Amino acid sequence: MRVGSTFLAEQSSIFYQLQLPTVILLLLVFYGGTFLMSMTIRQSKDNVDGYMNATGAVGYGFSAATMTATWVWAASFYAAATSGYKYGLSGPIHYGMWGALMILFIYPFGRRFRALAPEAHTLAEIMHARHGRGSQMILAGSNIVGSVISLMVNFTAAGTLVDILTPLNFSHGVLIAGIGVLSYTLWSGFRASVLTDFAQLVAMMGAAALIIPLVFFSAGGTGIFEEGMARLTAEQASFYSPTAILEQGAPFFVAVLAYAIGNQTIAQRLFAVREDLIKPTFITATVAYAATVIGLGVLGMIALIIGLEPVDGDHNNIIPQMASTYLSPFMIGVFFIMVIGSLSSTADSDLAALSSIVMTDVYGKNIAKGRANPRTMMLVGRVTMIVATALGIAFASLKLDILAALIFVGALWGAIVFPVISSVYSGRVTNQAFMTSVISAVILFTLVRFEFIPLVGFVGTIFEILATIGIGVVLGLMAFGFFGRRVGLAVFVLATVGFMPFTLNFLRDYLTLMSSLTAYSVSTIVCVAVSLMSDEDFDLSLIGERVVAFNDPEQSE
Amino acid sequence: MDANLLTAYVLIWPAMVLISLLVMSVAVMRDIAVAKKTGEPLV
Repeated sequence: MRVGSTFLAEQSSIFYQLQLPTVILLLLVFYGGTFLMSMTIRQSKDNVDGYMNATGAVGYGFSAATMTATWVWAASFYAAATSGYKYGLSGPIHYGMWGALMILFIYPFGRRFRALAPEAHTLAEIMHARHGRGSQMILAGSNIVGSVISLMVNFTAAGTLVDILTPLNFSHGVLIAGIGVLSYTLWSGFRASVLTDFAQLVAMMGAAALIIPLVFFSAGGTGIFEEGMARLTAEQASFYSPTAILEQGAPFFVAVLAYAIGNQTIAQRLFAVREDLIKPTFITATVAYAATVIGLGVLGMIALIIGLEPVDGDHNNIIPQMASTYLSPFMIGVFFIMVIGSLSSTADSDLAALSSIVMTDVYGKNIAKGRANPRTMMLVGRVTMIVATALGIAFASLKLDILAALIFVGALWGAIVFPVISSVYSGRVTNQAFMTSVISAVILFTLVRFEFIPLVGFVGTIFEILATIGIGVVLGLMAFGFFGRRVGLAVFVLATVGFMPFTLNFLRDYLTLMSSLTAYSVSTIVCVAVSLMSDEDFDLSLIGERVVAFNDPEQSE
Repeated sequence: MDANLLTAYVLIWPAMVLISLLVMSVAVMRDIAVAKKTGEPLV
């Protein structure tokens, strides 16, 4: 049995390189296979609704598979492993568990969206029917930016992987992933994404199930704990780590509803799955996501225990480094396909999401204004995919710093959670309430996140009170989704009052967490206050009448 | 902390991955069978 630290010292930190013919063969099999799969569902007559939402009655197996494959992306592995490396035993859980809950907590609201608008294509389209263009474009705009960023991150992951493990360079990896994903998604859109996701999921999860135990036993198995636990701090060696909770778990937990509401890839699957299968689909995907991501995050924890030092101090190197050190050349090939599968399944979902938003929210609702030509619409969707791929490749190649964009998109998604949810449950919420609440929440978020105002004394206390109300809003909305209005309200009050003694004079030291919570509370307070000033009582059944299919059934026959 | 407990913590996740994959694969096969039987499109 090899003990990790000794073995590492001998190996130094050199990545294993796959042979060029092997790499070409693996990529050809992967992208060629997915392309051939997509050809099996190619239709001679275009159907724009199918291009965006498939049949709207996709079965449990394909739905759960596509939801899992989409939500697991390359960054999940790297970030979960980083969390395991930084925070020890609890680290992988604080990444994977809350990411999984994003899938779980959205389904009650998803059922509401489907009940109100069975033929919807995007969430922004529902907001257009409910409030008009302003709220629609806030949602659509943030979705577009979010999906382009996601594309760029996935292509970057491909470039980095190819650069590290093959004789090819970063640009080759970015180009291969971009062209490969576009090739099988372009013609059939979302339908191709769903179909190929299952094959990609088998590759990804099958590889993960093999790689985790192989790396563990190769690194020394149970023996690593006897020798290596001394390297961990007290917090790293415990499942209860306040640092991990405050720096990793809590900000991620707060983002649960924001990412679920703000991400069109989730909404698209909510609209595609057969309505009575939404619950089992999303519960299965929750478990599958958690197991895959926490499991791969555990590799980061093992790296910490055996004393691995990431190459160049870059935590994104932990997983490739562990694979290179502890896996056979054949299994490194399997690892390569696992990462390519995970990033491709998310990238094709992003392309499908972007095309749906531009087809529905830009062309259908704002350019054609209800008189959309299905053929033009299909062209718009395909051109969007090509442009989005080009942008993703260009941004990945330029290695743009996207942190600021990511922060603002996250803030916007946090700010829209309450206005969106309340808009589909209550007719009292007005367009003015929606817009003012989102704008004011983003402004106050920015003030806190970038410390434009000193968070000391009275001002600091005010923002801590707002953030604590934000905790109540997050937990209250989660409870509301599952248990209804009374329980949601009770949880909101209890959480706000219960957390207050612990958050005052404390939260100001955790700006990421405090700013996100501020976005939730401010949008909620303003949305409720402005709505109460109006007598409007919107008839929610109008949403279903206004959101209709685009395709002319006679044309598709 | 007990080394065997930590080993279980490492190995429980790949086991769950396998079970989830099995459940979804069986369900996909059933989706395909239903689509063939009814003639409805798969996706």
